[in-house]
Amino acid sequence: MGYAAARGGLAAIEFAENLVQELRDGHPSSPLETDQVTGRLRLLVDRVMGEAGLWAPEFTAQALRQAEGDVIEAVHLLRAFKSTLPRIGISDVVNADDMIPERRIVPAFREPGGPQILGRSTDYTARMLSTTPRETKPKVQPAGVTPAEESLDVIPPMQRMSDVLRDMQLLVDRRRTDDPEPFDITRMPAKPPAPRSARLSTMARAETGALVGQWYRNILGPDGYLHEVTLGEVRHGAMPITVTHPVTRNPVKIGEYRVTEVEAIEDLDGIDEDRTLFDIGYGLCFGQNERKAIAMANLDIACHRDGQRSELEQSILMTTDGLDSSGFLEHLKLPHYVTFRSMIERKIAVRQARLQTSPTESKP
Amino acid sequence: MNSTVDEIAGPPHSVPFALLDEESKREIRRALLQAVCIPGFQVPFGSREMPVARGWGSGGLQISLAIVGVNDTIKVIDQGDDEGVNAVNLRRLITSSTGIEETSETDEATIVQSRHRIPEDAMASDHILVLQVPVPEPLRGIERNMKELERMHAEGDYSKMWVSLYEDKVRNGVITQTTGYPCLVAQRYVTATTPIPRWDIPRLHQAEFLTLFGAGREKRVYAIPPFTDVEPLTFEDVPFEVEASNGAKCRLCGSEETFLVETPGSESRWSCSDTAWCRRKRTK
Repeated sequence: MGYAAARGGLAAIEFAENLVQELRDGHPSSPLETDQVTGRLRLLVDRVMGEAGLWAPEFTAQALRQAEGDVIEAVHLLRAFKSTLPRIGISDVVNADDMIPERRIVPAFREPGGPQILGRSTDYTARMLSTTPRETKPKVQPAGVTPAEESLDVIPPMQRMSDVLRDMQLLVDRRRTDDPEPFDITRMPAKPPAPRSARLSTMARAETGALVGQWYRNILGPDGYLHEVTLGEVRHGAMPITVTHPVTRNPVKIGEYRVTEVEAIEDLDGIDEDRTLFDIGYGLCFGQNERKAIAMANLDIACHRDGQRSELEQSILMTTDGLDSSGFLEHLKLPHYVTFRSMIERKIAVRQARLQTSPTESKP
Repeated sequence: MNSTVDEIAGPPHSVPFALLDEESKREIRRALLQAVCIPGFQVPFGSREMPVARGWGSGGLQISLAIVGVNDTIKVIDQGDDEGVNAVNLRRLITSSTGIEETSETDEATIVQSRHRIPEDAMASDHILVLQVPVPEPLRGIERNMKELERMHAEGDYSKMWVSLYEDKVRNGVITQTTGYPCLVAQRYVTATTPIPRWDIPRLHQAEFLTLFGAGREKRVYAIPPFTDVEPLTFEDVPFEVEASNGAKCRLCGSEETFLVETPGSESRWSCSDTAWCRRKRTK
């Protein structure tokens, strides 16, 4: 008896699931293949992989398709999938200088050491909605440039702007001599005061919009913990992933992934700071997601300068995860009639208490 | 002896028993052991992302999945109701990933996962109650800074909480805290009792059963072991009040001694929040 009744809500759930599935998969347009998603919606895939903390373009395309394009839902599918997987190994430490760059911008200098590479970017494209069908659009031929000059086959070494400033003795030296293990936010919740690695990995997985919002709130909102920085490096490119071979103990490259890396130069001007020096904030996230990496680098240095004086660190650590915020927001849709009943009961209790203390007060 | 990566990784996309990988379940159990040893203390743990959203019982779900064995029987309720859609969803996640039995009868269940209620039926030492917790920090309403909150708990400095309760009483004539009433557990930690109604609070005091609290989004677990003192914070001359029902009866089973929920507008507007209890009473 209890059995049948315990299943009362199941039919409704299954109907809802079917509606989603049938209307999505049964749409008369041609089916959406995952290679279309990875190939044509690259930035969307990059963003979802970054927020999921999982480099898996194919799974991400499947997640986006299953989620009908809902970024948070796709991130959720990937993270929940990750929860079912054992951790079978940890990759070797990589040096960001090993990146094979596809793009590199140095706003701080006109001619930095190494090239400025505009790469794949719409930064300087007029934001006009293209209404011409794709096939008929002629390819733009860059004026006065031969294909050979475009080639990036041999990239001259890129001098990192933090190194340049260090050579010029213009940079605070915050390099550590010890080498602590990074804080693993997937295994322990970070809470303030947290090591920098906890803040950085929190931001690397943060929801892009939340991080940009956090940044802008500090520019124009009531908090104002951060300066507008000068960007030293904005890089995007491929990084190798290597593991130590279990038998030979040699490093073996098993794949690669793309990251966006940002160095944000901060003009120190606090009373307890050396006005003759700059400092650097760092941002790095999966894929091409420059907005996020820039916000991250600026918040990183802002948080360091803040030095626990404000709630900025707590704000970064606790409020920027997309699954946390969205999940909690959406839980408001769940039934709350037990708690609400209790609230009504207290309203009436307060009213009765008032009547007892001042019986002349008329009922509202 | 030459294992390939594929062999180490196991069959592709196979979902393990109870969803989570074994290391994760072990980690949650370790946190739970610590929680049982320090009643009422919030133990941080590396909360996993679950197939349900954070804020939808992901903490309770992780606990249930970490402690469940093949011989367990699960009951899941939301607001006291086994048929609530989220209860159904969580229950089917647990049963489909473990193959264990489900029930709506409290005494048949070995694990009862619940949101916002303790079942009306008495539970004994062979029951584990798993409560889904939205906000594990009982002091958040009076202090936002996490470092300060940590200090207050460490030093047992709950003066701000007492002042807040006093101000509430002075301003409103009664203490207006509704659900999730703050309690002192084992004379040491002030603990958030999830948003269970005040009605259920006395039933945690010296309870025979183990209660495990899971806050997935906030990545904390805590526990009230069997036979532990759970005292709602109040003043000597201000008795703790459960929700008053002023003689209301369940329109279905006629009960006056259960927690009743309201259907506005209707003539006989009260009914038991615990639907399984109510149904059994009617069929007896």
